[in-house]
Amino acid sequence: MNAQIPSVSRVAKHYGGAAGTVAIAGLIAAAITVFVPQPRVSVLFLCAVLASAALWGVGPSIFAALLGAAVAAFFFYPPIYNFGVDNPQDLLDLVVFAVAAVLIGMLSDKVRRIAAVMEDARVRAKTDELREALLNSISHDLKTPLASIIGSATSLQSFGTLYDAKTRADLIATIREEAERLNHFIGNVLDLTRIRAGDLTPRFEIVELADIVDSALRKAACLLASHDVRVSLPDDLPMLRLDLFLMEHALINLLENAAKFSPNGSRIDVTAETAGRDIRLTIRDRGIGIPAGDVPHVFSKFYRGETNDAKPAGSGLGLAICRAFVEANDGRVEALSNGEGQGAVFRVTLPAADAAYSELMVADE
Amino acid sequence: MNSPETILVVDDEPQIRRFLRTSLAAQGYEVLEADTGQDALRQAVAGHPDLIVLDLGLPDMDGVDVLHRVREWSSVPVFVLSVRAREAEKVRALETGADDYITKPFGMAEFVARVKSALRRSGQGTAVSQPVFTVGALEVDLGRRVVRLNGREMRLSPKQYRLLQVLVANAGRVVTHHQLLHEVWGEAHTEDVQYLRIFVRKLRTWLEPDPTRPRYLLTELGVGYRLRSPDQFETC
Repeated sequence: MNAQIPSVSRVAKHYGGAAGTVAIAGLIAAAITVFVPQPRVSVLFLCAVLASAALWGVGPSIFAALLGAAVAAFFFYPPIYNFGVDNPQDLLDLVVFAVAAVLIGMLSDKVRRIAAVMEDARVRAKTDELREALLNSISHDLKTPLASIIGSATSLQSFGTLYDAKTRADLIATIREEAERLNHFIGNVLDLTRIRAGDLTPRFEIVELADIVDSALRKAACLLASHDVRVSLPDDLPMLRLDLFLMEHALINLLENAAKFSPNGSRIDVTAETAGRDIRLTIRDRGIGIPAGDVPHVFSKFYRGETNDAKPAGSGLGLAICRAFVEANDGRVEALSNGEGQGAVFRVTLPAADAAYSELMVADE
Repeated sequence: MNSPETILVVDDEPQIRRFLRTSLAAQGYEVLEADTGQDALRQAVAGHPDLIVLDLGLPDMDGVDVLHRVREWSSVPVFVLSVRAREAEKVRALETGADDYITKPFGMAEFVARVKSALRRSGQGTAVSQPVFTVGALEVDLGRRVVRLNGREMRLSPKQYRLLQVLVANAGRVVTHHQLLHEVWGEAHTEDVQYLRIFVRKLRTWLEPDPTRPRYLLTELGVGYRLRSPDQFETC
């Protein structure tokens, strides 16, 4: 933004533009002379200088000022078609014009610099804000499970013999669950880092949606253990051109989200259909839904929904990562909800691979 | 069982070695440990392990190179430990001769089950030594080339049968796309993964009660396929 080195052609364009504004001012002045003898044409040229200053900065504006002064002297101040100026009034007029024009050019340059500095500061502030939010989230999401793990482990170590079998099993389950939560969170942060580093170059392959859904369901099996997941995929879905891992991951995050925001034992439906040249994958839960005003924000980083029961709140990263990954695959993901208590629907739209691949039902011998 | 089977654990992290040693010893295995690739190679020769658990991220050598060196003289089963999102590394390890892999972090129940199944496979030579392979409702009679589901005979095309045969011969372990294509379609088609996908889809419609939720023929995304062996279960 600030330290741009202008190329030669851009410089030429700017000075050409400045000359153009002067030419336009000259033509208007000439038109006015038809009706008004001896107009104060310097005001028109001042407009040309202002325009050049605003658009192209100090150099072109001073160039416009000098050119404007020359044009005024040559065409408009007697003797006409001569650079000389007879009338002292006109001469004064020209000098004032030139000084004002140069001042304007310099001022405009200063304003531009200040604007650039302000923009810079704004961007930096925004980055700081994001970094702060990420740090807060990291320290919260790392420390909470670690506190439970250290607490449970030291408690077992120091007092293990005093506890009955159930208490010990509870503490061990806590250690395990929290460690898994930690693992999941670290995975999310790594993904986010990948997204932020712009390191999301998908490795496209021709794949079947069913394979990805199956793999995602198996990897999320533990998270979904207490839900009734039903999958219904048509047999004749076209093949997709996707990066397997990005898409699998996006799907795991959606399934995890559905499990987190719906009561244990409730149903989660995974369905798919062909929609024109696209495939639409839908994940529907029977959970707490999304408040109407929040629908546009669910994919934002650090947006956290309220979980109603004892389930831990999320890191606010899962859906943001999901969206980034789906979009890296040239897809779209949207959230729909009829409001609180009505469950949520997440719909992923992905372009089908070329028909040639889908019809490649290899001759069986 | 006569003398206890010996497992060599190769990992540079002492904490990982500690919990592997504790849990494997509790299962009655003799445990050897190595923290570098060089040490692993030494102990693989001196200790005559029945199985090697090999972490791919070692300080002194690439884990796959260690595997390569071991494979020059031994067919001892090698179980590879890897980290998330390193699919290319897993594929390389499997094609260098690893028997199975598991991604860190992992649960011990699944790890022990897979160690047992790897040891059993190597103990009986290959899985093919049993002429009839059964998993769930699926029954593959390799001697008579007959496949039955719930006792009903299924009609498979030669390539479908060949694919199933390769998977059965390697039951319980992942077979990479490349290996399957090589075995079924031959050298010229080892890159044509979509052939395989279409065949697997067909096989599943035959073999799986619900093809969208496979129970027998499992996808290992980006790596290959695994036919579940009877003792493998999915743990949470």
